[in-house]
Amino acid sequence: MSVLFRARQQGAQQVKISAWRRFVTFWLHHAQQCIGSLGELARYPFASLMTMAVLGLSLTLPATLYVIVKNTDSVGANFQQASEITVFLRQDLNQQQVSTFAKRIELNEAVAQTRLIDKATALAEFRERSGFGEALETLDSNPLPDVLLVTPQEEHRSPAAAEALLQELKQQREVDEARLDVGWLQRFQAIVQLVRDGFLGLALLLCIAVVLIVGNTIRLNISSKRDEIMVMKLVGATDAYIQRPFLYTGLWYGIVGGVITWLATAALLWWLSGAVRDIADLYDSQFRLTGLNLAEMGVIWALAIGLGLLGSHIAVRKHVRAIEPQ
Amino acid sequence: MIQFEQVSKVYAGGFQALKNVSFSLEAGEMAFLTGHSGAGKSTVLKLISLMERPTTGRVLINGHDLKRIKRNQIAYARRDIGMIFQDHRLLMDRTVFDNVALPLLIEGYSMSEARKRVQAALEKVGLGDKLRHYPMMLSGGEQQRVGIARAVVNKPPLLLADEPTGNLDPKLSAEIIKLFEEFNRVGVSVLIATHDLSLIARMRYRTLTLKEGRMIDDGLAEESA
Repeated sequence: MSVLFRARQQGAQQVKISAWRRFVTFWLHHAQQCIGSLGELARYPFASLMTMAVLGLSLTLPATLYVIVKNTDSVGANFQQASEITVFLRQDLNQQQVSTFAKRIELNEAVAQTRLIDKATALAEFRERSGFGEALETLDSNPLPDVLLVTPQEEHRSPAAAEALLQELKQQREVDEARLDVGWLQRFQAIVQLVRDGFLGLALLLCIAVVLIVGNTIRLNISSKRDEIMVMKLVGATDAYIQRPFLYTGLWYGIVGGVITWLATAALLWWLSGAVRDIADLYDSQFRLTGLNLAEMGVIWALAIGLGLLGSHIAVRKHVRAIEPQ
Repeated sequence: MIQFEQVSKVYAGGFQALKNVSFSLEAGEMAFLTGHSGAGKSTVLKLISLMERPTTGRVLINGHDLKRIKRNQIAYARRDIGMIFQDHRLLMDRTVFDNVALPLLIEGYSMSEARKRVQAALEKVGLGDKLRHYPMMLSGGEQQRVGIARAVVNKPPLLLADEPTGNLDPKLSAEIIKLFEEFNRVGVSVLIATHDLSLIARMRYRTLTLKEGRMIDDGLAEESA
C-alpha cells in the first residue's frame, strides 16, 4: 500500500507475490520474531530467568492455596458423607410398627438409606462397650429407644436441605426426637468459604502484581531499544510490527513462568505432604494431599501466559507509541 | 513533488522554526536546502517526513495533503521517502546486510528477494563486499553509504538527506553527492539540507535558502536570471 504515490507498487505487490505466499510470509515473520525474542531473552539469561521466576513464584502461592482449598473441600465432603440424622423412636412402638416406619422412611425420595438399631441390639452393644454390664442387669426393662439412622440423598446433604429433612422426620407420629448436628456442618462450611474467598482475593492481587512486574520489565526493554525503535519507525515500520517482539517476550515470560509455577507448586506440596501424612495417621485417616491434575496445570499455564501477554500488551501500547523519531 | 504553502511551525516551547514558507520541488528535481543552523532546514525535512506537523499552512507530497495522513498511515507514507541522516542512524549491533534489509523486511519482502535488493543497493554505493561487516568496522564515509543504501533499497521516489556530508572530508563529500546525482538521474527527487556552502558552490543545482525561519531565496529567480 502506497499512501503518497498511488501508482507506485510496493513491497510484496512489486515482486508479485501470491496471496498464499504473503500469508505464509506473514506467519514466517511471526515465527521469526517469536524465535528472535527467545534469542533476545537467552542473551541475558539471568535477567530473563529472574523475571520468569518472579512470575512463576507469584503464581505458585495462589496455585498452592488452590490445592489446599481443593483438598479441604474433599475432606469436607468426607465429613458430609457422615452427615446422618439420628431418629429416636417412641418407646411404646412394637417391632412391627418400627420396621414399617423404617420401610416408609426408606421410600422417602430425600433418603438414601436407613439403618435400624433396635433397642435389644443397642443394649447389648452398650453393655459390651460401656463396662456398665452388671449395673444394667439390675434394670427391669430396656431404657434405650429404637434408633433409625437416616442418610440423606447426595443432593439433600447441604445443611439447609438436611435441616428440612430433619423437620420432616420430627413430624412423624412414631418419632420421639431426631438430631442432626447442622450447626457444626454450617460452621465448617462457613470457614471453608472464608478461606476460599480470602485465597481468591489474594490470588487476584498476585495476578495484578504479575501484570505490573511484566509490564515494567517490558517497559525497560522498550526504553533500552529506544534508538532501534526510532530507526525502525523512520524506515516505515508500523507500531504493530515494532510491538510484536515485545509481545512475544511477554509470551515467553508466561510460558516459562507457568512451568516454574508447576515445579514450585509440586515442590511445595511434596514438602507439605510429609506433615499432612503424619497428621492423617494420627487421626487414622487415609487422607493424602492431591496435587494439580492435568486440566488444572493447563489452566495455570494459560493464566501465566495470559498475564505475561497482558503485561507486555499494556507496556507496548503505551510506550512504543510514545517513541517518535526526532 | 513537494509543495509547501504558507507553512509555519511553532514548537511546543514557543520557538517559531518556520514563518510562512512556500516553495515547491518538481518531480525528478534535485535541490539543496541551505541556511545557518537553526534556520529551519531540519524542520522542513521533518515536516516532509511526518515527524512534525505544521502549525499553519499545508505540506503536499505528490498532491497529497499530509494533514490527511492519519497517524496509522504515517509508517506507510514513510516507505515512499528515503531518509539519510548526518549520524547515519544505523543499528550498531546488526550487520550491514541487516541494516539495509530492514525496510524490505518491514514491508514484507521474502528473504531471497530482499537479499537480491540489498546486494544491488550495496553494489551501487560501492560496499558490495561488506555485507557481513558491522557498522563499527566501517569508516565514517562507508557508514554514510550504508545509510544511503538503506534509504534507496526499496526505490522510493523521494530522497531526503539531512547534512549527509556533515562529518566527511571534501573528497568523500563529493563522492556522496555523486551518488545522489546518480539516483536523481534515474528519476528520484532529491532534497539535500546542508550548510556546506563550498559543496553547493561546486554544483549547479537549485539552492533554497532559509534564514531565521523564512525562505529568503527559493533558487528560482537565479535560474531565470
